[in-house]
Amino acid sequence: MFYNGKDSTQFLQQTEFIDTALVPLISIGLKKETLHNAASQSDYVLSLVNALENQFKGRVVAFPSFCYVEGQEKEDLYSNWKLAFENSPFKHVLFITGDSEWLAIDDSVLWTPTIPLDSMDAKMKIKILDDQVRQIIPRIAEKWST
Amino acid sequence: MSNNKVTRRQFLSYTLTGVGGFMAAGMLMPMVRFAIDPVLQKKDGADFVLTDLPVADITEEPTRVDFNFEQIDAWYSSEVTSTAWVYRDGDTIVALSPICKHLGCTVGWATDSAHPNRFFCACHAGLYEKNGKNVPGTPPRGPLDMYEVRESADGLLELGPVVPNTLV
Repeated sequence: MFYNGKDSTQFLQQTEFIDTALVPLISIGLKKETLHNAASQSDYVLSLVNALENQFKGRVVAFPSFCYVEGQEKEDLYSNWKLAFENSPFKHVLFITGDSEWLAIDDSVLWTPTIPLDSMDAKMKIKILDDQVRQIIPRIAEKWST
Repeated sequence: MSNNKVTRRQFLSYTLTGVGGFMAAGMLMPMVRFAIDPVLQKKDGADFVLTDLPVADITEEPTRVDFNFEQIDAWYSSEVTSTAWVYRDGDTIVALSPICKHLGCTVGWATDSAHPNRFFCACHAGLYEKNGKNVPGTPPRGPLDMYEVRESADGLLELGPVVPNTLV
């Protein structure tokens, strides 16, 4: 499910089954040196989120990304999100990111190394994302079982 | 010479008929064209998508087949990848849709080690038998849908529209 009007009517009725929020944490790089990497990272993470949504459509809601500029204070924003989710119908919240700085803040954040998709053809892209999804499945299943 | 003379009255009535005829045709032609348009509409290409799997290679074990087709969404056209689980059942080829009938997740064949001969949905532990029949007691309420199948001229598998399961 996606965070949109059409899907939300469905997941509000089915909160018993659709109980997981998937929130991409996206770093926005604006300096000449960091822009390319950050853009590539955000492209990859968002593609991965779409692939995960496709796999777990009936249990996961893919949220719009939580974006921040580099160097921004993350802790406060993050605790706001966490707090807001605690009072929501979602039982599980999965933050997914390619930015390793998150590991220092909360190790429950799903960090994934970035695979640059820029120069890949569509078929290759799908294969790579598929493999990555398969690697992430056990980590999500583990969250669900706790 | 004087017998062929066209009178002013004749000349005017000829020109008026001519011009009027053109105008009437100009109005009627588009109307007729619109009226018969549904008949002339081109059927969008047979709707069968070619995969790269030779029919001869299909075994009784369900295998995953990915295939691409172009999806046109208003003015935006995109390449969409879909999946089917294909296996042979006697002489017929069965292609099941991987979309769980519960809430639309993607199911996999034998992905749960406790149920090696079932389609498994990781979201809410839905199970389906090999022919797509939902296992009672698990969340799904109906059997997996299936694709229409046919063989292309050079022996490759072609998948058609999704239809309700006819095996169960």
